[in-house]
Amino acid sequence: MTAVLGLGNLVHSDDGVGVHAIQQLQRDPRVPPATVLLDGGTQGLSLISHISGFSRLLVIDAVNAGEPPGTVLRFEGSALHGLPGKASVHQLGFADMMVALKLLGESPPELVVLGVQPLSTEWSMDLTPPVRDAIPALLDAVVRQLTIWNASPVEMNV
Amino acid sequence: MARLVVDPVNRIEGHLRIEAQMDGGKISDAWSAGTMFRGIELILQGRDPREAWIWAQRICGVCTMVHALASVRAVENALDIEVPENARIVRDLIAGSQLVQDHVVHFYHLHALDWVDVTSALKADPAKTSSIAQSISNYEKSSASYFRGVQARVKGVVDSGQLSLFASGYWGHPAYQLPPEVNLLAVAHYLEALSWQKDFIRLHAALGGKNPHPQTFLVGGMTTSLDPNEPFAVINPDTITFLRDLVKQARKFVDQVYIPDVLAIAPLYKDWFSRGEGLGNFLSYGDYALGDPKDPNTFLFPRGVVLGRDLTKVLPVDAAKITEAVNHSWYEYSDGEANGKHPSKGETNPKYTGPKAPYDQLDVNGKYSWLKAPRYDGKPMEVGPLARMVVGYAAGQPEIKAAVNGLLKALNAPASVLFSTLGRIAARALETRIMAPHLETWVDQLDSNMAHGKVSIFNPIRWDPATWPKSAAGYGWHEAPRGSLGHWVEIEGRSIKNYQAVVPTTWNAGPRDASGQRGAYEASLLNTPVADPARPLEILRTIHSFDPCLACAVHVIDAGGREYTIPTRTNMGVPNAILVAH
Repeated sequence: MTAVLGLGNLVHSDDGVGVHAIQQLQRDPRVPPATVLLDGGTQGLSLISHISGFSRLLVIDAVNAGEPPGTVLRFEGSALHGLPGKASVHQLGFADMMVALKLLGESPPELVVLGVQPLSTEWSMDLTPPVRDAIPALLDAVVRQLTIWNASPVEMNV
Repeated sequence: MARLVVDPVNRIEGHLRIEAQMDGGKISDAWSAGTMFRGIELILQGRDPREAWIWAQRICGVCTMVHALASVRAVENALDIEVPENARIVRDLIAGSQLVQDHVVHFYHLHALDWVDVTSALKADPAKTSSIAQSISNYEKSSASYFRGVQARVKGVVDSGQLSLFASGYWGHPAYQLPPEVNLLAVAHYLEALSWQKDFIRLHAALGGKNPHPQTFLVGGMTTSLDPNEPFAVINPDTITFLRDLVKQARKFVDQVYIPDVLAIAPLYKDWFSRGEGLGNFLSYGDYALGDPKDPNTFLFPRGVVLGRDLTKVLPVDAAKITEAVNHSWYEYSDGEANGKHPSKGETNPKYTGPKAPYDQLDVNGKYSWLKAPRYDGKPMEVGPLARMVVGYAAGQPEIKAAVNGLLKALNAPASVLFSTLGRIAARALETRIMAPHLETWVDQLDSNMAHGKVSIFNPIRWDPATWPKSAAGYGWHEAPRGSLGHWVEIEGRSIKNYQAVVPTTWNAGPRDASGQRGAYEASLLNTPVADPARPLEILRTIHSFDPCLACAVHVIDAGGREYTIPTRTNMGVPNAILVAH
């Protein structure tokens, strides 16, 4: 089973990009029907119950990687360890969640993180123009990943 | 004399700051400052009172439904609405399960690491842990190989260099006194609790539509329809089976894991039965009617006030005697600050006069907190599990009396040990044990009502605003996990004219008042020894024993001007949006 988890706070501008993406994906016909779309908001460890049991997890979050605003970044495998500490603004809770799954003896899912470089995380319900303009590319990247996963049975993955 | 400052992470995360004055290795005075403004009261003005609960419950992301419950009760009180029995039962079930889940999460995930050294657990002999476990409980996960497995998983995380969940402890601090084997036991149950609570809280999703912030409350009842023959009714025989299994598991976890752990750990920290005493004044609004819901004498948690640690006397609660002072709070009252205001006449006019952040020290002679200072009959009060157990014990509530006496017998200690940091921890465990069997009873009652065709769950008598008086005022009380919660509402025409919430953490963490009386946190820290100012574990032990609904961190400045910034764990589920302030 595959899930897409969008993280972020809708009232902090670009911080909410993960949740904005989930809202758009809910209306996107390209998303394979079996995919579970999760609006994780700003919940940390309490998301465990929602992501437990999935074999694949795609996370969308604002990631401060020092890139130009609106840059979409993809992290998987060892690149995830390369994420600078707290680069994702929800990194703390999210990393804790993965450790918690390990401690609970559950196998953590195959994980890909799609990060978007924010311009602003100040009070606002709106994304800034560069991040708003990056949404189509972000959604394409999500669909691409889901399509790859959809084409390869879960059992093939370690 | 050094001033210790316990402040939010890197000055950005969290909402609570403790400043403690050190004198000869002990705390000689303390100030508690809430560093974030709430303001939900202002958002509620002008809105339809029937939707107030939806907004009000967003006050908190951890206790979630408690504000929804207090809010619908306030509006029902104002409009004189009685809710059907089923609605009361479903509300009690949601709130009671919140209490059980919240207390377990607090003990294992927010507080245990103040007492349990995770790194020491790696040195334990799993066979010895196994025999300790089997000597205190018949919980089935108690073999040496089970504890060996836990130890290996924890070692994997520690060796990876990413302590993550466990990064926040003062590992190796001399105040950790448990043998490695008990540490391993506690760490194993930390993980068991993590696993159990994530399943248990599905009860809120089943009865509330979602968690956090259930969506099924209603002024006049609940939207959780009962129908034995309708598979799509929220409460049908399948739901009952699901709920029954969850509450049974909860009772088992409390009886076989939580209570034995508290009883095993507490005696190894005897000093803490005489530290953190605090005010000695206790308030409980009372809750969970076992009989007539209008008669507080039938409440599982009785209503009452105990003053000066006098267990021989319980005073009745007079709602008119509650006031909030703002002499040391960043608010102003329209008619001056000489007197506190009753919440029904409460005002929320923010007036920040504190220093511009970042700052080293607050001017505690002036205003220093975003929390107001609630008082009962002019006196500061402690609220929460200890207050409920003290009031219930003094009132002679049979279940509480038996539980407290059982505890004191197991510890071979007098009742005075209740007034302490460990007393709060024990009280929380006791009331969890008291609550758990009632959850089962409430599920049974729902089942029985449904079977007998008694399915009413909403009283529509005042749903139509045309039936409302021109103006109305009321209040709603709830004993939330962290203590006495009150919402006050004033309705004029068809909308909210004024709304005030006085929350448990405001009672406990509030600042001084006009006459300089300390709040509960402030009083509880007096005379506490602090072995190492760079790692003020002792402050955290007492403050965490109140279960603050806040993310905390420690920022210490000693007399020499040296600074230490030590992040501590954050409350699970607290929105971490504040991290965006990086």
